[in-house]
Amino acid sequence: MHTISDDDLVLYHYRDGLDAARIAQIRDALSASADLRERYASLEGLLARADAEPVPEPGADFSARLWQKLEPRLEMRRVEKRAPWRDALDTLHAWLTPPRLAFAGACAIALAVGIGFHAGRQSASNAPLVASAAADAAGARVLDAYVAAHLRATEGVLMTASNSDSADLLGGNRELAAQLVEANRLYALAAARAGNTQLADFLRQIEPVLISLANPSPSASVQPSEGLREYLKATDLMFQVRAAEARLDRNGTHRT
Amino acid sequence: MHMANDEARWVAQASAGDAAAFRHLVDAHANALFRVCARITRDNALAEDAVQEALFNAYRHLREFDGRSAFSTWLHRIAVNAALEQMRKRHRVEDALPETDDGEEFHAAAFDAAPGPDREATSAAIGRDIAHQLSRMSAIERTAFVLRHHEGCSIEEISAALSLSESASKQAIFRAVRKLRSALEPIDTVD
Repeated sequence: MHTISDDDLVLYHYRDGLDAARIAQIRDALSASADLRERYASLEGLLARADAEPVPEPGADFSARLWQKLEPRLEMRRVEKRAPWRDALDTLHAWLTPPRLAFAGACAIALAVGIGFHAGRQSASNAPLVASAAADAAGARVLDAYVAAHLRATEGVLMTASNSDSADLLGGNRELAAQLVEANRLYALAAARAGNTQLADFLRQIEPVLISLANPSPSASVQPSEGLREYLKATDLMFQVRAAEARLDRNGTHRT
Repeated sequence: MHMANDEARWVAQASAGDAAAFRHLVDAHANALFRVCARITRDNALAEDAVQEALFNAYRHLREFDGRSAFSTWLHRIAVNAALEQMRKRHRVEDALPETDDGEEFHAAAFDAAPGPDREATSAAIGRDIAHQLSRMSAIERTAFVLRHHEGCSIEEISAALSLSESASKQAIFRAVRKLRSALEPIDTVD
């Protein structure tokens, strides 16, 4: 009769993942059963031997080599952060999370870009060109920054969906994907209205993936990740999302 | 204590943009981060890339570090994800064995790797067996095991680092231990 499994003994060994009552129960059973003691000793021996593998050590100059590669990236980051509009955007974006508020933000931006576009057409003959160009640049910066944040959220959803096997997490991820679908549509619309057809097309390309993550087929159970991994691999979508994100971040910096 | 004070100061200065302060943090943590990344990726070059990405991400998000956990814990969590990300980029996650609770594969692996009677159980041979089995695990199994066994992380911390439920983290550790056992114990002792 084995009411204490090897898995229980693993947790007992680490004194982790078991409540106090279960730990006491296993301890008592170990005192009472030679057979169980033998199994536990075998496990402890196994785990001790797992330490036989040499500890991986980096080369002697690792830290210096690492810093050589990191320093220019940090410098670039500092230059980006100095852009005066970034702080304001960060604050605004912090305000607009969670995603429902981000959706509201997307609506507002789509509307603003739409109104700006419309107003620009109405008053094109009278408006001073310089002011119009400045307004366009500011609008594009705002759009870029928001879409970059949207793509970061999309990347997170894709990563969770393709790597997690937790039903709870996947459930939350589905809700997030559903919210991103709506925001994605509005950002695509705003990008198209702003004349950025490349970005608009890319966002439209992501939409079906977000929709399928938001509405998994009943047969997909809790682990739709295999098919998604294959799809991500085949289309390189994750890379494209990151590349678009980086491009938008760069655009923001150059426009300041 | 003194070191902890220094670290808190470096974190504060680095999050205000001080590169020299961040360099101190890099020097203090790079080797430990390399070790955990190398154990996860089983590849020193990938581990180096992972450490670089982890530190860059940490720099970008330093302001979000709230001090509720130790800085090294926060950094390790970022590094674990960077290591997994590096493996994903190289498509190594899919190359690992599929996760399974099926005893059939477990026993097949045990026959495959069971030590022959003529082989001396030297520590070098055991080390090789361990290395072989670790490289055959799925990335999640290996990462969960490395974090629990070598890094001393709790299951709660592992779950947070891997975005898994605690139950899924435990199962990943159990599978890892079974695979190790299949390599290191003769088949007749496996129950």
